[in-house]
Amino acid sequence: MESPVDKAMNTQASRVLIHDPTLRDGHHAVRHQLDRDQLRAYAAAADAARVPVVEVGHGNGLGASSLQIGRAKLSDTEMLSVVRDALTHSRMGVFMAPGWGTSTDLRNAVSRGADVVRIAAHCTEADVTERHLVVVGELGAEPHGVLLMSHMASPDQLAEQCALLAEFGAQAVGIFDSAGYYLPADVTERITAIVEAVDVPVPVLFHGHNNLGMAVANSVAAVQAGARIIDGTARGFGAGAGNTQLEVLVAVLERMGHSTGIDLRAILHAADTAQERLMPAPPTIDSVSLVSGLAGVFSGFKTPVLETARREGVDPVEVFFELGRCQVVAGQEDLILDVARQLKEM
Amino acid sequence: MTVKGRVRVAIVGAGLIGIDLIEKIQRSEALDCRLVVGRDRQTLCLRRAAEMGCATAAGGIVSLLESGLGFNVVFDASNADCHAEHWSRLQATGATLIDLTPAQLGTMVVPTVNGADALAHRHINLVSCGGQAAIPVLHAIAQHSTIEYVEVVCTGASASAGRATRLNLDHYIETTQAALRAFTGAEDVKVMVNLSPAQPAPPFRVAMTVLTPGVQLDPIRATVEAAAGKVRAFAPGFAVTSCAVTDGRISVVVEVTAEGGRIPRYAGNLDIINAAAVLLAEQHPTIRSR
Repeated sequence: MESPVDKAMNTQASRVLIHDPTLRDGHHAVRHQLDRDQLRAYAAAADAARVPVVEVGHGNGLGASSLQIGRAKLSDTEMLSVVRDALTHSRMGVFMAPGWGTSTDLRNAVSRGADVVRIAAHCTEADVTERHLVVVGELGAEPHGVLLMSHMASPDQLAEQCALLAEFGAQAVGIFDSAGYYLPADVTERITAIVEAVDVPVPVLFHGHNNLGMAVANSVAAVQAGARIIDGTARGFGAGAGNTQLEVLVAVLERMGHSTGIDLRAILHAADTAQERLMPAPPTIDSVSLVSGLAGVFSGFKTPVLETARREGVDPVEVFFELGRCQVVAGQEDLILDVARQLKEM
Repeated sequence: MTVKGRVRVAIVGAGLIGIDLIEKIQRSEALDCRLVVGRDRQTLCLRRAAEMGCATAAGGIVSLLESGLGFNVVFDASNADCHAEHWSRLQATGATLIDLTPAQLGTMVVPTVNGADALAHRHINLVSCGGQAAIPVLHAIAQHSTIEYVEVVCTGASASAGRATRLNLDHYIETTQAALRAFTGAEDVKVMVNLSPAQPAPPFRVAMTVLTPGVQLDPIRATVEAAAGKVRAFAPGFAVTSCAVTDGRISVVVEVTAEGGRIPRYAGNLDIINAAAVLLAEQHPTIRSR
């Protein structure tokens, strides 16, 4: 039997595909308020840099605009139309979690030109994705299956869940470090287990967050363990402390001898464009983000936790530790107020 | 053996919902559970149904039709994709069909809102567990104010959501949204569903947010409590855990625990829809004319 490392080496060893969710994950940092001009400016810059996939949408994906998670400035349809028009080379990606969006949202997104569709589930709940992965395949788009908050499951569980995603028809499978909790050794162990469990033609993907300053190092560990699709966002624009910084990731991977097909100068320009046009300030690991990572809480909770903590007069750090203790998962923003009030009464 | 004067019922679907339903039927003095049908003899739940003393059959709806037993009420606890076929096959038998799947084909019924004359319909749909938890409260609020927008976020324990539920999340969301529109008059509605793997497993939780201009807290709190009291009459694990009004926005959270013995306490989602199903079946004319 070939070892996972050999298996990884055999699957186009030097090629790493970069998937760019700047215009989706970044939405968490600006309360889902990007406008048309902002979407257009960054999509065009990423396209010029030959970024393979440019993902767009509400921070929690298709159908997730809500009072619970935050209402987006633009509808899904508006966002997709603007980005589609701005792309000439890059493929357009979208993200959807069953329970937040439905097949109706998927049909709309593919009809608006989505090429790559990520169907997401909490890391232990892969079986909720079966119907939607099939729908995406039938619509002719490329279905990916992704596991959120993956630090909450063991390497074996993740491997089993990823194998299920592949069985349902996902053409790429992998894990999100949604809380930014991992250290490189954690990633190595998990990606190795997943690569071993999933058949060769299905590439393994990794999506990092930078709460502990490890996003690029974790992404490198993922590649070394056999991952072949890595997510990165311009300047790290994303939930909480931000994502793996795209332009740094590209530079590091190229130095390591992996080709990404991305033009370095053009991606630097795209990152500058992102900083100028999309964000009030580039993401930083502030104290609250550091704690949110340590506590293992979904990075997208940062803005609502800060708002609720201020309103209720409690320490956001304590709110994050308590949310971590309650093992909250993405989508459970309604618990933030409960936790803040409990702390207030203590 | 038929128990005289009782409503003769059958269950299609031997999953988590079916098992709790059997227990509730067995506790009811008005109902006689005559048959439980599943698709596969080997499923754990069908074996458990037999252990609970029920006649069982493994051939799905066909074995129910071929059983030769007459039923007043059939509960469909299978899955939304099979429901249309179940209804078309049962229609000729004269049985009333109470649908616990989110198939959105029968008349939507929420007992405390429109349950009184529900049995005038032969085909009843119970919306969803989230619908059964949210609509009593939201309907009551809608009697006092014009709702511009309503949002419902349902979070169930991972272990309380079986295979059919997981495959049917789209149906669940669409059917619950249709019921919210029908029962509250709001055009703009949104339903979201989360599954929580936390340990210990949390109770079923339904967070509702209503946008309605010029609303006051005091009358709303009383309205919500009154609506909850009516639900507690048949689903005692139903509790309002928070109720707040700020700037034209009403936020209500309810949690539901299961009080039955065979399903875990956290599985309030199963408990509330099954309690509603049993309550409606107990109103069958067979009982009324006794």
